[in-house]
Amino acid sequence: MGALMNIILVENNFLLRSGIEGLIIELPGLLLKEVFDGKEKNLCRKLINKKPDVIIINPNALGDNFISIISKLQEEAGIILIGLLGNDCPENISSRFKNHLPLEGNKHLLLEKLRDACGKDAVYPTNKKTQAGSRLLSVREIDILREVVKGLTNQEIADKLFLSIHTVMTHRKNISKKLSIKTVSGLMVYALMNNIVDINEMG
Amino acid sequence: MLIVGEMKLADVIHHDYNLVPVINRFDISLGFGDGTIKEICEERNVNIEFFLSILNTFHDVQYFPKDYLKSFPVSLIINYLRKAHSYYSDEKIPEIKLLISKLIRLSGKKNKTLNLISNFFNDYCKEFATHLMREETVVYPYILSLEKALAEKNENGIVDTELMKYSITTYEADHEDVEEKLFDMKSLIIKYLPLESSDNLMFEEISYSLLRELFVLEKELNEHSRIEDLILVPKVEGMEKHYKSDR
Repeated sequence: MGALMNIILVENNFLLRSGIEGLIIELPGLLLKEVFDGKEKNLCRKLINKKPDVIIINPNALGDNFISIISKLQEEAGIILIGLLGNDCPENISSRFKNHLPLEGNKHLLLEKLRDACGKDAVYPTNKKTQAGSRLLSVREIDILREVVKGLTNQEIADKLFLSIHTVMTHRKNISKKLSIKTVSGLMVYALMNNIVDINEMG
Repeated sequence: MLIVGEMKLADVIHHDYNLVPVINRFDISLGFGDGTIKEICEERNVNIEFFLSILNTFHDVQYFPKDYLKSFPVSLIINYLRKAHSYYSDEKIPEIKLLISKLIRLSGKKNKTLNLISNFFNDYCKEFATHLMREETVVYPYILSLEKALAEKNENGIVDTELMKYSITTYEADHEDVEEKLFDMKSLIIKYLPLESSDNLMFEEISYSLLRELFVLEKELNEHSRIEDLILVPKVEGMEKHYKSDR
């Protein structure tokens, strides 16, 4: 199993909230981090600050702010947006979502849709290659980790290893996912533990 | 479950024993007898509306305090939050440190990984202490002087210009890194804690206690920041609006 995918739910209807929670609990690998009812002040900033992997949104909960909020969220790379949509949802709203959970769907269908949207590997690491690969860091990732724990910034690492800054950021994200360690000091413990760096190399 | 004044406090604790440290912060300790929440609050001079909204916020993630429940003075909330702070730093954190040092002793002191984890946790504690300190020395005094100034403004129209410059929203986003470190601490223990001891059974038992304490601390801290976000911040925002308007 890879690291947990953090989910945020934006839904103001209690029955639907509880239903979605029930679905998320059924899928190991998914974690419902927080629920918003859609009327919070500065909702967009709050959502992005939580650094979720997935946001499940009922457009009804956002009301008139739907378009402005969804547009901003769409600009955030790395966040999967899932719409909670009924059959009668107008095209201009449903077209905003690549993934959606149909309100009329049965449990089996909903679980399948949710799993597909979040990426199958995150939920069920089925094929052998990803299973083995998702446990161990690649050689490249180890190179990057070594520089991260020395305190280099993403840009400095990119320059040093002749990579684009985007590549470095992707590697960092994958490292944190594989190890379930988010902070630099946590990564440092891992690196020292596994002799990836020496205590004398540390600044 | 929505907790209301007519319920017996004992039944509530039967239902959710995680509330024990919370009632302790209101100076109610176990052995409190057979009374309803209302009776116990009256007996001990506890503001029941405040008590209930804290219990409910803590007990139920979905609970959202109603506006009329926010009528109690802000100093009550701060008093509660301060007590929670000292519970974390004087009880929870030392407990966890004690468990770590027990593990180190069991493994014969030369366990590199365990020492790294121990240092990592010490760093976390320092950061956590700084965070609490900032709230206690900057944020809370600001709120209390705002409360005082608001009363004076109502009385004789005097406004403190210093207070106008600060706002509670600047402090809202501050919790992040401390939470992430605690998560990492759990990962390190779950995935990488080495079993190198002459008494493995004891070692496993203590590691389990350690992990449990970390989960409890994490849960406590989540509830704590929910109380700040749902009760304290909206209340202070209201006060600020009131204070800065119609000068």
